[in-house]
This record gives sequence, C-alpha cells and structure tokens, in this order.
Amino acid sequence: MSLSGVWTDVVGQASAVDVLASAVAGEPGAMTHAWLITGPPGSGRSVAARAFAAALQCAAGGCGDCRECHTVLGGTHADVEVLSTELLSIGVKETRELVRRAALSPAGGRWQVIVAEDADRLTDQAANALLKAIEEPPPKTVWILCAPAIEDVLPTIRSRCRSIHLVTPSTAAVAAVLVRRDGMDENTARVAALASQGHIGRARRLARDPDARSRRADVLALPRKVGDVGSCLRAAERLIEAVKADVAATAEVTDAAERESLKAALGIGTGAKQPPGAAAALKELEKRQKTRATRSQRDGLDRALVDLVAFYRDVLAVQLGSGVDLVNEAEAPAVQDVATASTPEVTLRRIEAVLACRTALETNAAPLLAVEAMTLGLR
Amino acid sequence: MKFRVERDVLAEAVAWTARSLPVRPPVAVLAGLLLTADENGLALSGFDYEVSARAEVSADIAAEGRALVSGRLLADICKSLPAKPVDISIDGTKVNLVCGSARFSLLTLPVEDYPTLPEMPSRSGAVPADVFAHAVAQVAVAAGRDDTLPILTGIRIEIDGDTVTLAATDRYRLAVREFTWKPEQQGMSAFALVPAKTLADTAKSMTGEVELALSSGASGEGLVGLTSSGRRTTSRLLEGDFPKYRSLLPSESLSYATVATAPFHEAVRRVSLVAERNTPVRLSFSAGELVLEAGSGDEASASEALEAQLDGDDIAIAFNPTYLLDGLGALDSSHVRLAFTTSTKPAIITPTTAEGGGDGTEYRHLLMPVRLSG
Repeated sequence: MSLSGVWTDVVGQASAVDVLASAVAGEPGAMTHAWLITGPPGSGRSVAARAFAAALQCAAGGCGDCRECHTVLGGTHADVEVLSTELLSIGVKETRELVRRAALSPAGGRWQVIVAEDADRLTDQAANALLKAIEEPPPKTVWILCAPAIEDVLPTIRSRCRSIHLVTPSTAAVAAVLVRRDGMDENTARVAALASQGHIGRARRLARDPDARSRRADVLALPRKVGDVGSCLRAAERLIEAVKADVAATAEVTDAAERESLKAALGIGTGAKQPPGAAAALKELEKRQKTRATRSQRDGLDRALVDLVAFYRDVLAVQLGSGVDLVNEAEAPAVQDVATASTPEVTLRRIEAVLACRTALETNAAPLLAVEAMTLGLR
Repeated sequence: MKFRVERDVLAEAVAWTARSLPVRPPVAVLAGLLLTADENGLALSGFDYEVSARAEVSADIAAEGRALVSGRLLADICKSLPAKPVDISIDGTKVNLVCGSARFSLLTLPVEDYPTLPEMPSRSGAVPADVFAHAVAQVAVAAGRDDTLPILTGIRIEIDGDTVTLAATDRYRLAVREFTWKPEQQGMSAFALVPAKTLADTAKSMTGEVELALSSGASGEGLVGLTSSGRRTTSRLLEGDFPKYRSLLPSESLSYATVATAPFHEAVRRVSLVAERNTPVRLSFSAGELVLEAGSGDEASASEALEAQLDGDDIAIAFNPTYLLDGLGALDSSHVRLAFTTSTKPAIITPTTAEGGGDGTEYRHLLMPVRLSG
C-alpha cells in the first residue's frame, strides 16, 4: 500500500492506513459508523482521524489536493466537525451540541464526520450523553473518536466503535519524515527522532528549533545537579522555569497568529469602527488561549518528566550493558557519568521517583512542590 | 474580479446575506462573505455549516472572480455609502471599494479555505411567501427545543401532490398545518425534516413567491432549499424517524366547545399568573359557560368565567398554561373549537367562526392534558 494523498502524513502506520483506506474505498463490510483510534501520544491519532475524514469527503478517496481535502485538513469543511479541547475535560454541554450535529444530514451529500480528538477527556456524563448518538447515528454520519488507549473510554462507548490501533512510529520512519518534509539533514533528524521517542510533533520541534533542543538539554542536565537539599530545590525551580519558557515560546507565536486571523475575519483594524460582537469574540479567544496555556504548561512539565525517565532508562541500559540504542545520544557522556556513579537499583528507584511525580501532578498537586519532592528523591 | 453595482441593490443584498453569518464563527473564514462575479452577475454568499444564504444581484462585470471579505465590515460599509454606483475590484490581497469620493480597502480572507457551499436541490414547487411564513409560524410553536432529541426540534414537511403538510411536536403537543401549493410535477410526493428555528427565521424574511426545493438524487441530498426573488437559503435536514403523528390525531371526539379566541387567550394569561411553575390551568366546560381556574387554596388562586358553547357532555380538563397560550396564539380565527374525548386524552384545538364548524383539517393543534390529582 503506497502512502499517497492525505495518508502521506500518517507516518509509520501502514496497517491502520490499510484498514481506513479500504473503508474509504467502500469494500464490503469495511465501513462502519463509529471508529475509535487509539495510540500513544505523538503517534498521530488526530492526524490519522483528519486524514480519514478528508478521504471520506474527497471524491477521489483522499487525493490531498482537491478543495474538499484542503478544507478538511484546514479545519473548515462543513461536514467535518472536530471536537478537541484545551481544557482538562469535555463536559456534557459540548457533547449535547454534537448530538444535534450528528442528527443533521451532510451538506455536501457525502458523509457527516464528527471527530472527537480527546475522547479520553470526556466526562462520564458527557460520554453517556453520546451513547445513543454513537450507537445508532443516521446513515450518513460517522464518528471518529481518538484516545491514547482503549481503556481510556467507557466500556459502553468502546463496544460501539470499531477500534484502530496506532503503533509508536519507528525512529527510522520519524526521521524519514523530518528529512522529506522539513528538509532536515539525516543526522539531526535521527537524533531528534530518537530523542522524541516516536512523538512526531515533538521530533519536528527538536529538529527545527535549536532553542527547544537547548531547553531539553537543560532538563536532562538535572540528574547531575542534584546533590544536597539546596541544589535539589534550585534544580526543581529551574525545571519549572524551563518548562514555562518552552511553553511560552510556542504559545506566543500561535496566539498572535490566531488573534490576527480572527481580527481580519471580523474586520477589525482596517479603519472602521469595531463591529458589534467583535470585542466579545476576541475576549473569548483570549480566554481560550489562557486556558490552553494552563493545560500546555501541565503537558510541558509532563513531557519534561518523560524525558527524564528516558534519561534514566538510558542509564539503566548502560549499567546493565544491554546494548540497545540510547534515546539520548547527544547526552551520552552524562549518561555514562551517572551510570558509573550509581547502581541499577538506585536508577530504578529514581525512575520510580519521577513516575510518582507524574502521578502527583495528575491529581492536581502544586507543580513546584511535586517537582521538589522528585528532585529530593533523585539524590 | 472587477464590477460595478448599484448602491441600494448591493447594500440590501449584503445586509440580507450578512444577517445569516454566525455571530461567533467557529473558524475565522466563516465570518467572511463570499463575492462571486461571473456571467450571471454578482452573487453574495454566507454559510455557517448548517444554513447557507445566497443573494444574486445584477451588476456590470468587468472581470470575473471570487473574493472573501469580512461580512460584518462590508455590511457596515455598504449601509453608510452615498447613493452612487459602487465599484469593487480585487488588488492582490485587498479588495478596493469605491463609491463616489469614498474609497475603502478591505483585507481578504483565504478563499481556498472557505468550505464548499452546498448545491441547491432542484425545485419542487411554489407557494406565496405570506401563506408559507404564516403556516410555518403556526407549526413552529410546537417544535421541541431540547437538543437531546434532535428529531423533535424539526418541522416535518410532507408533500403529496398539491397539498403540503407541516407538522411539529415536542411530545406534549402537536401542530399540523395543511395548505395547497403549485407543485412542479403533478402527483409528486416527498418529505423532509427541517430544523424549526431555521425554517421559521427564513420563511419570515422572504417576500413574493417562495420556491421550495427538496433534495432528490445525489447532489444536494439531505438539503432543503428556499428561494424567493433571487435570494436562496439552503439548510441541512435532520435525519431520523419523525413520530407517526397521524395516528395521534383522534378520529372522533365526544364533546366540542366553541369559545371566542381573544377573550379566551387573555383570560388564560390572567389566570395563569397565579399558576406556579409546572402547575396547570384547569378548564371546566358546562352548557354555555367555561370556568378557568389556577392556583390552589393554600396559595394564591384565580378563576374566571367565559361564555362558551358546549356540544356534548360536561368536561373538566387541565393544561400547561404556556402550551395552551402557544396553541391559542397560533390561531388566526375569531373563535376556537376544542374537541375532547376524556379529561386524560389529548384535546384538539382548531380554528372556527362564531357560527361553529371547524371540522376542517387546515390547522390542528393537539394538546396533552395535565392529569388532575384527586
């Protein structure tokens, strides 16, 4: 199966793409009304969902060039509704609106596709509100739910969907994308792909943005900085600061771009008086950006912790002489230092400390306190 | 793209199209108004994913093309232009608008990101706009507003030859309206379920003759189109099975009451002032008299007597006051006829005159009674 058209960006998922493409092609029994796409973060769940939606809307089955494909991928197609959230959960109010959308017939006459990108964030009530609509949608409506793992959605939702599992794309596949699409040289691409552990978006940022690389290096410098209590506390503070800076750097760019495009659409800034409703729309956007900032700080800190776990994984690999590829090739000397200075038991205890910090953050612990507790545990 | 158009023509068409643009667009391009200049003239289109509006006006087209500009801004500008011909042309990423000595330059939005506009289904028939708007308004009061049951938020349109039937229900009441029209083909039959709010808003804004288009065939499937004097609106349909409402309408009733509509409506409104939330207004019909009561002895209560003709047994029945007022308000006749079987079975409200009658099936409004305890 050659990857062409809209499927090009669904990296390293040949078997999943096969299933989806045959559904689009209309092979008997291949299509169904509800899909659940699962896969680890960064494996491209929402990319796959959008590609599938585009292919369903495209007369040529996902050519990637026509107007339908373009508007689906750009998020403006009339028959593709995408529910994603920047908050921590999706409530019953948003889902009620989806239930109504699901009952409408498609404007373009092909399919009405509803993509729920963060189905794992549905509250139980919200998921229950969807049950009926997912079980028996009108003939032209298709649901595509995305979640990290099949266990993340209610069993009652799960049983109503056909499941598609995405694997973590291989390092080689990620590196190939970076080379092909972003024009990276092979070495940078490989290092970034390794460091991102199969998270395509993250790999791209690491490859393209030297600042992101240096901030990541900052995070990974932490294991060598923890000594006495004072240094632990300082290291924790630096980690939080690094994450904040990282998140702010991305947010600044996207926030400004969003504001500009909304302003242009509402006709502000071309000399006329502000049209009615414009101030409210802008305020709403600002509010959304603020809640997104909260969430992305949480996500950013989580990513940093995952990087730390990967570092100790490398340390463990060296200590046990397993000979597998290091995730952090660029930090190999540091890995060596830590490996010789400690024992596998200590490393395992440290990994546990980092994972405990992740759990604590999930239950809304104050980030600085949780990270301080972790750095003290890393001594 | 380059064309010249009359100021009034443009302003009116832009105002009408901009009216249907979403106030809070989910994506920025939807706040845009699409200008299309081709050999047929100038077309202005707006879309909010559910309803599309398109107005066509005649213009002197010097060069064909398309452009997407902010709809609200364009509407505001057009409103305030002097009464002179308007020249509009596209220049790179700007649209220039010149009217007399006034010049405007507007930013364009990316036209390639704009969603494909739904195609207009083929024409099914026509009906005068005022008849249509009135019929839709009479039925729309009974449509549900609860999004958890989407099919009940729609108005069912059934076409059978030269008869059109509109029906809506929210499980507590049902309104059915029939009218005749000029179908495109004799003996055609079709049905559709249109979102009630959309249909009511659109029907109100139309003038002259309304052409109704229901989808048939592959293109424009699942759509309804309404056209009047160069302005067309399409709306997506609701899918699902509408309740089989015809079997709900009782074929015969045991007693009939005739009451003057306006005094009845006012009396219900007065009496219901003391009806607490979710408590009914009680109606007792006896020969020559109707007594309305609401409230209870422990709290505030009210009663009022009206003249009424009763044909059949005496009956006491209770209704949700809001639903009863909606039903009476939808009538356009001097008198109303209520048909009952028992106090626990639905009653039917039909328009009538002082002389009686009212067996017609033009408009029927079925109301579920509230069961009286004790």
